[in-house]
Amino acid sequence: MELMPKAGIGDFRERIQWMSLVAVFGLSMLICRLFYVQVIDADRWTEIAENNVLRRVDLPTTRGLIRDVRGRIIATNRPSYTVYVIPGYFRMENFPRLAEYLALNRDERDRLESRIRGAEGPRRYHLLLARADIDREALALVETHRATLPGVRVSAIPVRHYPFGELAAHAIGFLNEVNADDLREHEGRDYRAGERIGRSGIEQAWESILRGRRGWVRVEHDVRGVRSTARDAQSGPGDVRRLEPVPGRDLVLSLDMELMRAVDRVFRNRPSGAAAVVEVQTGRVLALYSKPSIDPNLLISGMPQTLSREIDENPFRPRIDKSIYESYFPGSTFKPFTALAGLEAGVVDQRTMVNCTGRHELGRRVFRCQHVHGPTMFHRALVESCNVYFYQLAEAVTMDRIAQMAYEFGLGRRTGIGINQETPGFIPTRAWYAQHYPGQWRIGHTLNTAIGQGNTRVTVLQLALAYAALANGGTLYVPRIIERVEGPDGDVIERFPPSVRRRVNVHPRFLDMIRGALTGVIADVRGTAHRAMVGEVTVAGKTGTAQVSRIVRNADGLRQVFRSQRDHAWFAGYAPAEAPEIAVVALVEHGGSGGHEAAPLVTAIAREWFTRIRPGDPIPSVEMYRRRNARRGR
Amino acid sequence: MARTLQRRLVDDFDWPLFLVVAVIATVGVMNLYSATSARTGALSELHIQQIYWVAVGAGAATIVASVDYRVYERYAYGAYVATIAALVLVFLLGKSIRGTHRWIQIGSFLFQPSEFMKLSLLLAVSRYVHRLPRSEAWTFRELLAPGALIAVPLGLIMAQPDLGTALIVGLTSASALMLVRIERQTFWAITVGGGISSVLLWEFGMKAYQKERLTAFLSERVDVQGSGWQAHQSMVAIGSGRLVGQGFMQGTQNQHRFLPDTHTDFAFSVWAQEQGFLGSTAVMLLYLFLVLWGLRIASLAKDRFGACVAVGASALFFWQIIFNAGMVTRSLPVVGVTLPFFSYGGSSVLTMMLAVGLLMNVSIRRQAW
Repeated sequence: MELMPKAGIGDFRERIQWMSLVAVFGLSMLICRLFYVQVIDADRWTEIAENNVLRRVDLPTTRGLIRDVRGRIIATNRPSYTVYVIPGYFRMENFPRLAEYLALNRDERDRLESRIRGAEGPRRYHLLLARADIDREALALVETHRATLPGVRVSAIPVRHYPFGELAAHAIGFLNEVNADDLREHEGRDYRAGERIGRSGIEQAWESILRGRRGWVRVEHDVRGVRSTARDAQSGPGDVRRLEPVPGRDLVLSLDMELMRAVDRVFRNRPSGAAAVVEVQTGRVLALYSKPSIDPNLLISGMPQTLSREIDENPFRPRIDKSIYESYFPGSTFKPFTALAGLEAGVVDQRTMVNCTGRHELGRRVFRCQHVHGPTMFHRALVESCNVYFYQLAEAVTMDRIAQMAYEFGLGRRTGIGINQETPGFIPTRAWYAQHYPGQWRIGHTLNTAIGQGNTRVTVLQLALAYAALANGGTLYVPRIIERVEGPDGDVIERFPPSVRRRVNVHPRFLDMIRGALTGVIADVRGTAHRAMVGEVTVAGKTGTAQVSRIVRNADGLRQVFRSQRDHAWFAGYAPAEAPEIAVVALVEHGGSGGHEAAPLVTAIAREWFTRIRPGDPIPSVEMYRRRNARRGR
Repeated sequence: MARTLQRRLVDDFDWPLFLVVAVIATVGVMNLYSATSARTGALSELHIQQIYWVAVGAGAATIVASVDYRVYERYAYGAYVATIAALVLVFLLGKSIRGTHRWIQIGSFLFQPSEFMKLSLLLAVSRYVHRLPRSEAWTFRELLAPGALIAVPLGLIMAQPDLGTALIVGLTSASALMLVRIERQTFWAITVGGGISSVLLWEFGMKAYQKERLTAFLSERVDVQGSGWQAHQSMVAIGSGRLVGQGFMQGTQNQHRFLPDTHTDFAFSVWAQEQGFLGSTAVMLLYLFLVLWGLRIASLAKDRFGACVAVGASALFFWQIIFNAGMVTRSLPVVGVTLPFFSYGGSSVLTMMLAVGLLMNVSIRRQAW
């Protein structure tokens, strides 16, 4: 061995001791850190670890069906197929094929390709939406080639479907995606982004019943989101592993879609209008019709913008529910209530006579009548709709008594049907005029009110219920569109019996007089709707021709301006005249004369109902459930 | 020549050193078995490979311990130059993995020269310290040569780029250099200069993603899906281990593959989840014993070379542990530093075993002949 340099390590020792201290300090810090993470902060990380592995997987629920009174399906759920790609398993050489099957356009192709390529880390094993709601052809292609398309998943989700399309669409409503406001409003009810929520009509009003409740199950997953078999998850006591979904409940409506179809048919050549059919003895709504309408199937998944604009620009306003959301001057259909006010006040009776000269002068103003009726008595005044008679009657009755009678019959008040936004309409009073037109009160206002003009506004449904009350001897019902709620197995959960809103405070003798006159409107040769008479069923009612004060401004073409200025044609009535069962109201927007345009619709609807639709055998309930269950795949 | 070499090896054998390494290596292999149990294919057999490497390393350590370390002192510069050459070769014919040049393929074995540079550089620096028997404080003049010795391989390794290994190589030898007394002025000059150059390197020398990786651990709101994924999942594993752990082979983070690199950088996270705070602390105490024992060997060494090598070997363990455990507990940035005997890797195990061999060597020869 060679000679080592003689320097010792004595001077090293002190520094080695310092180093030992550093080592102790460093590793102690690590142990402290471990203590913090594993003991003090352990709960937090334990929870994350559990959530990593145990994931709650949603168990979907099915939205309840909506059926009409005979079990016909109005709203159901159809499967919609959506294609996903899992980038971690997908092979890019298959991309052109997939794009072809899904019929992606160039833009969609590029976007999807860059999204697949851009997926990194654990995102490579997440589902990536390739195309939503593919058609049958694409589904068939993808399913056929599934074996050669690794990393492609097809999932079926239920989508609302309305077999009747735009028929009764306003009443039924539709679904669309929840937005931020909905999520805030329905906080705690477990709505998720992307989920659909009832947006209008029954779908909206009965959302909580129809929707059901989502369930979930806890399953073990590994980092790829693959259900793991590596370790069976042990559930401790009280550890809830599964919550069963609760399917939505079904609604059975009082609507009869066959009647709806008949109503739609009689409105064939009328571009715009509304109708309501209610049962006289119960207030059940058999038909609630508004034209034009929109196919709710288009509204569900968002429609093309061109179509949306077309709808918005349609002068006949398809989005408006004209049966309950829009109010109109009732015109002469209001006269029975003016007449009742007169009878109750004792200012007229059956023999009160007025000489109609075709005009009624009031100061400098002249109120006109359609004809010169000559000496006219009560019955004839209604049958032939003599304005002059009612002007004179109104002068004696006063506005507030007329308004009082209108309220008795539910006019100018919300009916309480409980769907959509219902407009109350309006019946003016002196107090209202005093408030809004101070110092401008004129007796002319009363005259206009008496014949359903001026500021008087009612809805189609209000009028139908009021006429039902006339027909049934003075019982005003709450309109009922939901017949019952059923469980998924067809068991009735709740039934809705008729609900009386008010017994009208009118002497029965006076009602008889009115009914006699309404029968005459069609039955009498000189009645304003005599030409609408049909042989099969007797219809009683009153025509109305409401002046349209509003002018729809439209730049393109005179015709529309002309149409827009034409009067609205009304007919409100009931049938059969001698033993009323249904009340029917039809409104043809800008149709012109009520007797010509609206009355034939009502008599045709009544004829359809009594000769064809009502006698039809009800679908046997067993058969009905079997069909429905087959559709649900049970 | 009172006793033969054989007798010396037997009588002065450092049992505590041997035992602590044996225990750590055994626990490490066991943990590796659990850590790779959720994997399939070649990865699931890694613990067998690791046993081979531990055996090979133990054999190498025995040889290293047998030869008098003064021989290493003599050939230290030669070994240093040879390892530098290998580092240069890495760039010329190295195998590129994930965009870095760290490995040379020899047969089926991927050889990582930067691992061996940890010890080559230590020997070279120790030789320099040994040959300069100056007991008064060092100044720049004396530090220039060892500074250069460190700078060259550091530059080469950082260029691979392999920040983690560069860090360990630099810190190990710098720690050994700390044995000598350095003039106060010089010390402060180096400290300030180092600070300034770090700032300059940060501002101009580093790419955004590197910076992000280095600072990710500092922020509370981690990008769990992105750059913070590894560290986050590691924290989840360690934290959910709680006091006593989820049990051997039962760690969910590993079994469900949320933990990345369980066989290398994040092996300790598997251990911490399965054995809890008690288990992880036990391992930390074993490491602390190893480091302190190494330093004790240094203080008993019979010459400056031996002390310097022993301090360096202890520092090597210390820094590897600090950076790995610091990384998995999100106390330090994620730099790829292995945990001695826990992480899988031939070069890593071999290097650590050679370091143990050097410690044993110095320990056996602590008494003057």
